Amino acid sequence: MSELRLTVNGGEHVLDAPVGTSLAHVLRERLGLTGTKIACNEGHCGACTVQVDGVPRLSCITLAHTVEGEVTTIEGLREHPLVEAFVRADAVQCGYCTPGQVVSAAALVAANPEPTREEIRHAMAGNICRCGTYPKIEEAILSWQG
Amino acid sequence: MARLIRTEKEVEGRFEEVWIVVEEDPLEQWPEGPLTVVGRPAPRKDAGERVRGEARYTADLRLPGMLQAAVLRSPHAHARVRRIDLAPALALPGVRAAIGPGEAHGLVDEAGFAGAPVAAVAADTFRQALVAVEAIDVEWEELEVVLDPDAAVERGLVTDEARRYERGDVEKALAGADVVVEATYRTQTVLHNSMETHQAICEWQGDTLHVFISTQYIWGIRQAVAETLDMPEDKVRVVCEFMGGGFGSKNSPDEYTFVAAELAKRTGRPVRCALTRREENTSAGNRNATIQRLRAGARRDGTIVALDGEFTNSVGWSGWNASTEGPMRMLYDCENVRTVTHGAKLNTPPMKAFRAPGFVEGTFGLECLLDELAARLDVDPLELRRRNYAGSNDGTPFSSKNLEECYRRAEPHWERRHEVHARSDATWKRGVGMASQIWYGGGGPPSYAWLRLGSDGRATVVTAMQDIGTGTRTAMAQIGAEELGLPLEHVEVVLGDSARGPYAAISAGSSTTPSMGPAVRAAAADAKRQVIEIAAQRYHLEERVLDVREGKVVSADGNLSEPVQDVVGLLEEAQILGKGARGPNPTGMSVLTFGVHVVEVAVDVETGEVRVERVAAIHDVGRIINPLGASSQVEGGVIQGIGHTLSEERLLDPETGRILTTSLDAYRMPTIADVPPEIICEFVDRPDEHLTNLGSKGLGEPPIVPVAAAIANAIRDATGADVHELPISREEMLRALREAEERAREKEKRGAPAAV
Amino acid sequence: MELLRPSSVEDLDGGVLLHGGTEVVPLLRDGLLDAERLVDVRGLVPRGVHDGVIGAGTTLAELEVEPAIPDALREACRLAASPQLRNMGSLAGNLLQATRCWYWRLDYPCRLHGGDRCQARDGEHREHAIFANDFCASAHPSDVAAALVALGARLRTNRRELAIEELYRLPDEGDRSTTTLEDGELLLGVEVPQVESSTYLKAMDRKLWSFPQVGVAAARVGGETRLALAGVAPIPWRIGGVEELDRATPLPRTEWKVPLAQALVRRALAALA
Repeated sequence: MSELRLTVNGGEHVLDAPVGTSLAHVLRERLGLTGTKIACNEGHCGACTVQVDGVPRLSCITLAHTVEGEVTTIEGLREHPLVEAFVRADAVQCGYCTPGQVVSAAALVAANPEPTREEIRHAMAGNICRCGTYPKIEEAILSWQG
Repeated sequence: MARLIRTEKEVEGRFEEVWIVVEEDPLEQWPEGPLTVVGRPAPRKDAGERVRGEARYTADLRLPGMLQAAVLRSPHAHARVRRIDLAPALALPGVRAAIGPGEAHGLVDEAGFAGAPVAAVAADTFRQALVAVEAIDVEWEELEVVLDPDAAVERGLVTDEARRYERGDVEKALAGADVVVEATYRTQTVLHNSMETHQAICEWQGDTLHVFISTQYIWGIRQAVAETLDMPEDKVRVVCEFMGGGFGSKNSPDEYTFVAAELAKRTGRPVRCALTRREENTSAGNRNATIQRLRAGARRDGTIVALDGEFTNSVGWSGWNASTEGPMRMLYDCENVRTVTHGAKLNTPPMKAFRAPGFVEGTFGLECLLDELAARLDVDPLELRRRNYAGSNDGTPFSSKNLEECYRRAEPHWERRHEVHARSDATWKRGVGMASQIWYGGGGPPSYAWLRLGSDGRATVVTAMQDIGTGTRTAMAQIGAEELGLPLEHVEVVLGDSARGPYAAISAGSSTTPSMGPAVRAAAADAKRQVIEIAAQRYHLEERVLDVREGKVVSADGNLSEPVQDVVGLLEEAQILGKGARGPNPTGMSVLTFGVHVVEVAVDVETGEVRVERVAAIHDVGRIINPLGASSQVEGGVIQGIGHTLSEERLLDPETGRILTTSLDAYRMPTIADVPPEIICEFVDRPDEHLTNLGSKGLGEPPIVPVAAAIANAIRDATGADVHELPISREEMLRALREAEERAREKEKRGAPAAV
Repeated sequence: MELLRPSSVEDLDGGVLLHGGTEVVPLLRDGLLDAERLVDVRGLVPRGVHDGVIGAGTTLAELEVEPAIPDALREACRLAASPQLRNMGSLAGNLLQATRCWYWRLDYPCRLHGGDRCQARDGEHREHAIFANDFCASAHPSDVAAALVALGARLRTNRRELAIEELYRLPDEGDRSTTTLEDGELLLGVEVPQVESSTYLKAMDRKLWSFPQVGVAAARVGGETRLALAGVAPIPWRIGGVEELDRATPLPRTEWKVPLAQALVRRALAALA
């Protein structure tokens, strides 16, 4: 066990966890933040995407003890206009990958409020959606400002 | 009145004779076209919860004291457990129980594929359970591994008897045909890879077993668990409020459910058994590979006189022999058709239904063959399909078929091919291809729904169905709202719990909407009837002049317009309860869905890269309930289809039969970058007048059916290359291009004038 | 397991070095790496581009938008992995990543794991090598490495300076490793020479987020044209020209990579001109 200090969605957390514990595991199992999904648990699908200091990272292969910076999960983005844009565009089918999509998209539009389709595809290619919701995701991001 | 009938029930193209009780459905269908709520685009009612990460999937549930299970799986493709010792696992920290072969349904002592479940451990943490599983000491006796489907069939290693079908005289017709084309097509093994892996949490409360499970069929799980564990069905409660994708792979309980139930029983604690992504890729089922040896004969005028197909499904260790021959039997009007379908029993993971099983594979073969025939006959591929239009299903009338209308709507997309060809250059060749779609999707009884209408004028549809991500909650709410005359935001749907509603159908075989929708409408109609009865008494008017519209009880003369809550409010905290049942399917009719895709591709003839640039998907599935959700279904089907057409393939080590593509870097599903710039969805949107009070068929599966063939045909149009294998990897594409080049050279040589 | 954060390179003392973690964390979890001690080297490895030297800790995401580096490197970074992986993964980590060979990843007793045969040669090898594949048929997955080889980059470690080509070695009976990095040796910086022009072309089986089927980097450096390929040999592979692909030794199911590589090499050379 080793002490772990995390700032998540603006709140400070101090807990103990063995070295090797992933950030995704801590978020879901220790902090109850199950909006972050684990779908492959090895860095290939993007369902577990969270932001660290605004940059999308894969929380399933991020060791919790190595996190430096502020973690933002979907729970911290619930008021983001992208959420409404995803709902409007029907950019959700089974919904399991969707929180990760929103987290990636939020970082994209923060850096580039009016991304082109090409830029959206480049920034979102790491978030796999097995239902194939992609055209609607693209539409949601294009229209996120309403 | 309820009526007991013996009938053929179809799920995923499989038929069985069953007894069912059906209730007559006296409601007349609504008029064609968009109504007040039905037929209008509606964002999903639960979209916000899902997008915000508030929706609780099975993977997100945390029961007090819950243990984690891990499963020991066979490393060998075929082996017997000679001896197994669980003691080393039990001695490890955190371990609470361990079970071996025979101790839970699904744990086997003869492993028929690499990844077959053999033993399981429950521990405080998943990591502890994994370590413990590794510590189990097994002595294996390795057995012969059979991986080659043709060899298996030859040796009689099959899952069931070959399925044979013949009408007319195929040999004679082929002998008399002006043109005969022959080709062998191969399709690969494809993995579902739902984002939420297969999993269940089991908890015993007294003698009741609570099963929280990611499933497509709440009632099927309840029945199968009760039967396997020899329990009364009402002692099994099954819950699935949100689920993260299934695509056909989550129709049954499987070993993880029984492992969790048994370990929960032994430990007195709730137990989760969740597959890892690796296990999902080795053990959770697949769309099986096929080999299709096909022949077609035609007259010069394009009349198809014979279709002949030998199909071999690589079923694997278990699963069923899907209807790969189905499209050949049903899509075209042809007097002479012969098919034989073998199911090879192999030491590979089990086949499970995957979005139109059999028809996806069979449509690739048949619709590619049709285009090869069109090329030989020098007939336009669309024209060839029209000339052989089937007016009935081998004599049985269709309940409705608007494929001709689909073809008509395909014309402007098809006409683009001249302009598309003109955009080719030396490296990028462009072309247009098409393929037709046929599949089931009529649903059927029994299915039930209740509807509660409260004194606040708000209604809740209650039925123990599941929403597997298709937007069922929304579609059912729309149907309820339309019938009740309420705004959509005043109708909720409660589903996902066998203890909280009546029996509901499986969400497979594109059957959710056509099975459940009519029951929901009937329940709403029952509630509305009661509202009108009450209003008639309250306002001293005749029932026949009353209606409910836009949340108000209105009279035909317009003098009465009272909010529903003022009428139902008389009941104070009590409610009106409507109840509805799905009526029977039309007798003596084939209920099928139809469609056509027109696809534009660009092929880089030097590097074998294929780009799908535009897809026009036109479908005939009866009435559309939610055009927005329907377009999502179509886009999703097209994209999943592009995946298995271009990049997805499960690979085995040919020596050991072990699966090599166990992770998502090796098993390659489409990303957003693989999506065609344009996907156009069109619906004929005509209610099937013979099918239920809605006239709606299912749409989950149809859009994936024609994708591969349409892409392959577009590739042929662009390059002249015949692709015969899925996926159309660069390897296959470059091979086909080389073959086409050689063919062209040969032709040139033959056609060259002799030297004088 | 313990996590150390040494404050200077001199304090390095064994353990598994961790930077972005995108490779190390999954390998640890799969048991392909064994570590009692994890060493977080982020504090030791420079990050950013200064005076033509790229800090080995610079992420691929930073490099894909970095104007001060040659096109081939920027493009290789842009086309590598997924956005999240590029945000996490460092330049050094990318150069040192292990093969994607499924036999190696699934821990078959293959040559790279010290075994006595290459399962891929007789088995499923459609994504494998067309050069130097006799002992081990794995294909090197780094786009960035191919780009740096073509660019003639030089590497600086805590112990030496070397040409990037000297970082890689073909595995053999006596030594199964594919790099020459020693225990405790840490990549610190990459020096990329000024080039006249350069490009990186990549064939993937998805449009993005795929390892290279074949990647071709080409650079014009001091009047010389240099070519290096990813995905064709167990290490990044330099060739003199397109004709050298005629001497490839593909396996039955990697033959398709030869015409693919030829096409990409021709295009890359045309792009330089």
